[in-house]
Amino acid sequence: MSSTIPGPDLLNAYRQSQTGGYDELLDRDGTPRRHWLPFLSELGVLSDADRAQRAMRLDRRVREIGIAYDVFADPTQNSQQWQLDLVPIIFSAAEWHWLEAALVQRAELFDAVLNDLYGEQQLLRDGHLPPELVFSDSAYLRACQGVLPQAGGLRFYAADLARGADGQWRVIDNHAETLAGAGFALANRMVHTHVAGDLFNASNAVRLAAYFQSLQSALTAHSGRDNARIALLTPGAHHEDYFSHAYMARYLGYLLVEGADLRTRGGQVFLKTLEGLKEIDLIVRCVDGRASDPLELDPAGYDGPSGLVRTCRKSPKLVVNAIGSALVQNRGLGPFLPQLARHLLGEDLKLEDAPRWWLGDTASRRHVDERFDHLVIRKAQEGTGRPGQAALGQDTRSMSEAERDLLKREIALHGARLVAEEKIGFSRSPVYANGSLTPQPFAVRLFVTRTATGYAAMPGGLAMTIDPDRAVALSAPDGHTRDVWVLSDAEQGHHVSLWRPALETARVQRSQRVIQSRVADDLFWLGRYCERADWTMRVLRSSLRRVAEDNGPDAGLPAARKCLEVLLTDEESTAVDKARIAALDFDALCNRLIRGGRASRTLERTLQRVYKVAYLARDRLSLEAFQTLSRFRPGDPWAVALSTAKPGRVLDLLDEGLASISAFNGLMHENMTRNFGWSILDMGRRLERAYNLAEAMLELFIPVPDAENEQSSLMLLLELADSFITYRSRYRLDPMLALVLDLLLLDETNPRSLSYQLAAFSRQLDTLPEGKQGVSLTDDRRLILALLTSIRLADVERIADEPKGETLEALLREQIQLLPQLSDAVTRHYFNLTDDALHRAHMRSENAP
Amino acid sequence: MMLDVSHRTFYRYTSPVVQSQHLIHLTPRSTARQIVKHHSLIIEPAPATRYDGIDAFGNHIAILDIEVPHKEFVLHARTSVETLALSPLDLAATTPWDRLDSALAPVGGIVPIDVVQYRCVSRLTTPSLGIAAYAARSFTPGRGVIEAALDLTLRIYDEFTFDSTATDVSTPIHDVFAHRRGVCQDFAHFALACCRAMRVPARYVSGYILTRPPPGQPRLQGADASHAWLSVWSPQTGWFDLDPTNGIAVSDEHVMVACGRDFDDVSPISGMLLGGGDHDVSVGVDVVPA
Repeated sequence: MSSTIPGPDLLNAYRQSQTGGYDELLDRDGTPRRHWLPFLSELGVLSDADRAQRAMRLDRRVREIGIAYDVFADPTQNSQQWQLDLVPIIFSAAEWHWLEAALVQRAELFDAVLNDLYGEQQLLRDGHLPPELVFSDSAYLRACQGVLPQAGGLRFYAADLARGADGQWRVIDNHAETLAGAGFALANRMVHTHVAGDLFNASNAVRLAAYFQSLQSALTAHSGRDNARIALLTPGAHHEDYFSHAYMARYLGYLLVEGADLRTRGGQVFLKTLEGLKEIDLIVRCVDGRASDPLELDPAGYDGPSGLVRTCRKSPKLVVNAIGSALVQNRGLGPFLPQLARHLLGEDLKLEDAPRWWLGDTASRRHVDERFDHLVIRKAQEGTGRPGQAALGQDTRSMSEAERDLLKREIALHGARLVAEEKIGFSRSPVYANGSLTPQPFAVRLFVTRTATGYAAMPGGLAMTIDPDRAVALSAPDGHTRDVWVLSDAEQGHHVSLWRPALETARVQRSQRVIQSRVADDLFWLGRYCERADWTMRVLRSSLRRVAEDNGPDAGLPAARKCLEVLLTDEESTAVDKARIAALDFDALCNRLIRGGRASRTLERTLQRVYKVAYLARDRLSLEAFQTLSRFRPGDPWAVALSTAKPGRVLDLLDEGLASISAFNGLMHENMTRNFGWSILDMGRRLERAYNLAEAMLELFIPVPDAENEQSSLMLLLELADSFITYRSRYRLDPMLALVLDLLLLDETNPRSLSYQLAAFSRQLDTLPEGKQGVSLTDDRRLILALLTSIRLADVERIADEPKGETLEALLREQIQLLPQLSDAVTRHYFNLTDDALHRAHMRSENAP
Repeated sequence: MMLDVSHRTFYRYTSPVVQSQHLIHLTPRSTARQIVKHHSLIIEPAPATRYDGIDAFGNHIAILDIEVPHKEFVLHARTSVETLALSPLDLAATTPWDRLDSALAPVGGIVPIDVVQYRCVSRLTTPSLGIAAYAARSFTPGRGVIEAALDLTLRIYDEFTFDSTATDVSTPIHDVFAHRRGVCQDFAHFALACCRAMRVPARYVSGYILTRPPPGQPRLQGADASHAWLSVWSPQTGWFDLDPTNGIAVSDEHVMVACGRDFDDVSPISGMLLGGGDHDVSVGVDVVPA
């Protein structure tokens, strides 16, 4: 056996950094524990370079799939970097059997406790639990009284565990609100097997897919329909767990929805889609219970649809976990669990909480007072949050006398909401760093779900390195995570992943094709912002080239200036603003358009918006398509270079930026299914292009320029509209106004002409449902018809001959005025996301004495 | 006393409300102190669906779905109710507030959780150390719970100024305490925070009060408003109502609509609206002897 133990250097270094306490890898004699041997021998076979390279690949892969990356965070403050270690935590089969049984028992216990507390409350009446523990907990939601017990039981439970210095496992926190970051565990496993699948296979560790399959089929059964439309309700992209929500939704084939996408009516909840309201059969809740319904629950902040509790009263199985389930996360329950297990289950509790005291109780308070220096004071209810984000609690040792006194008075007043905890110490397990293994303390989150045959634990989990001096909970501000492997006695079956659904579940997957109104809105703006970025970069490129090529002082610069200036204005710009912009020198003007000022259409702002909406609509885009836009992410080297570059370097950057947009458009054109999403994206692009073209034409030709400027303006316009070659091949003449107008206004075969954009928009709009209200056209149809007709009826030769260009001006002004109205009309009709978000209205009592 | 109560609320929106949902507490409950003889509720526009039920505190609630676009929303609740006068009591003889545990946490007995729940703090009634110190001056050791609560009520009446401009619906009690100003709702919340700091069971009550015009002047139509006070529990009296805004123990001139931990639990009308822009509310309350 000893011959398979890896490089003595690896373990020697590890042994030397041993500090006592329980070690996961080595037993008391310093011999590796048996269940680590297969992993160690595989690891030992690898060269130092290979190990280092794999650690780097893990890092890169984590960035690529974006685990826990907060897209909208300030890029200069990257406090939390998710890291995944090459070395997992490994459980032997025997230990896992025991742990799984213990976790299942806890899930059963919490299920029973919830059913009682939201039902008859015998536990409170008979004195098994102090009523003030429950009634002081803001996670106890009275509106759900009597509703939760009909919900069909707790579906998801997770526990954070630590092994104390004595070798005993203890639970340091319980999670019963949502999936508790199971998506992070899954993503970690995906990344780890991508990079180190050989190590995993050699260890004969259990795969996760079977667990998620049984979770999926249990939820389908729970919904009561074979082809159920199941939605995962998330607070949205601003939430720190959004990655996990999006990842789980995609993996399980569920719709990812936000509260604003849903509407309740009677006992049903509906998804707002382009095709109208679609009934949802089951909601996997990833929003806090308290925030699930602004009508009956917390009025101060909400993520769920109004009326959800009332809907659950009629259809109690609609939401999992049932709203209100977070109550059992209360840390104060810990000391009561052994007695509750005997009372409710008739069993001894297999796995206890770490020692803690609920401070609402006078006797406990007295006890805590005596041992004050050894304890940490924490909130009894903290909410589930992302793994590793638990608050640290107040360490009494580091306090001044005055602070301790204040804390004691706070405890006397608000003890019902506080607990005192003993520090338990943590066992150590190896991490790979700088070419060697070092022991680091850790805690682990394990997940349980209810399946057709009762509760089952996920054969895996999420482990994190923690700071034992400061933490009792899973607090890991540095985000250093580890995969969790459970070894099997049995041979592992074929690799099954839910990414490739078996035929019988393919029908379920199709529900993903429903387009929520909110996602449609994101796609529409993705089309608009991409096109806006494209146009802005073209204007900048053409302008800078005219400077760089230095064809004499006036070679088209005035025309270019006009196009630059107009992009810095909007409908709110005053004459003073415009004069200030006109006074800028050329470099300053370009600089301003790239990055400066308050203007709403600066390139930097547009690119940030491109990235943001692309991120929000990410589950509708292919991975490749999304990656083409990655250089627009704030903080990306390209984006940083653009915001600091000297004018000479900007041209290259613009070429790269334009290439990204082209690549994105090309991928969308080649790969995107021609469904409503495609129509919407294309409509956004067409509308923006039509607007930019009309605006530039108005700037360049009204008032009518003199002959020399007309020539340079026509050249610029052909260049911006990418139609110079078309023009040359068609006419072999210097640009003439009538011919250019024909090509760029009227020619419906030129994909860069105004009429082409409008016609394409109109065709796409016709593919969307509901074109009529009764017998009359809807606003959006009416507007596009007016715009298209007006262009089609134009007589370019007459227009080009007018000395003051009145007809051209009227024509273009009409476009510029109506196109934004068209955008609003489409938004109102299909997205229903006007500025009118739901809001809550109250009034108060004011009776004077 | 027989009282007729009319409570009319009129919302006007600057742009149409496309759809709305409302949770309302406008139907008074019958208690040991009042018997509701007749009640009607007019809602315009008529809701598409309406759910009527009892909430976790025993109050009547209704949940309304309004699905027609509207710019005006009217709720008119009318109630005929018989209230009973308070019979004389020896307040000092109620159980001392610091000895309530024997009644509320009986060893081996049934815990009266319907009372115990009101010992706990809520979002709008969380006391600070300062508020606890203020409360301790009324809740002196061994003092009867109702006697102490009445003392607290009278202190608030004496020391706090009614000022509807000093606070709004979201002003926390700490500001009310700091400035000693507010409206009936603020005084009720402040008194509740004091009681809960001492772990005395106390609940928020919303309702109406009979007002009398100044001598020689006629009663003005719709001049009243909805009112709020608190109710404190003792084993001898059960729930005993105190009105810090008026500095009195509640007798038969108050009509209770609903009770809860604080205003959040009993807000007369709350709603989630889609659309509507700004809104403007007018409320007319009339309480007249029948």
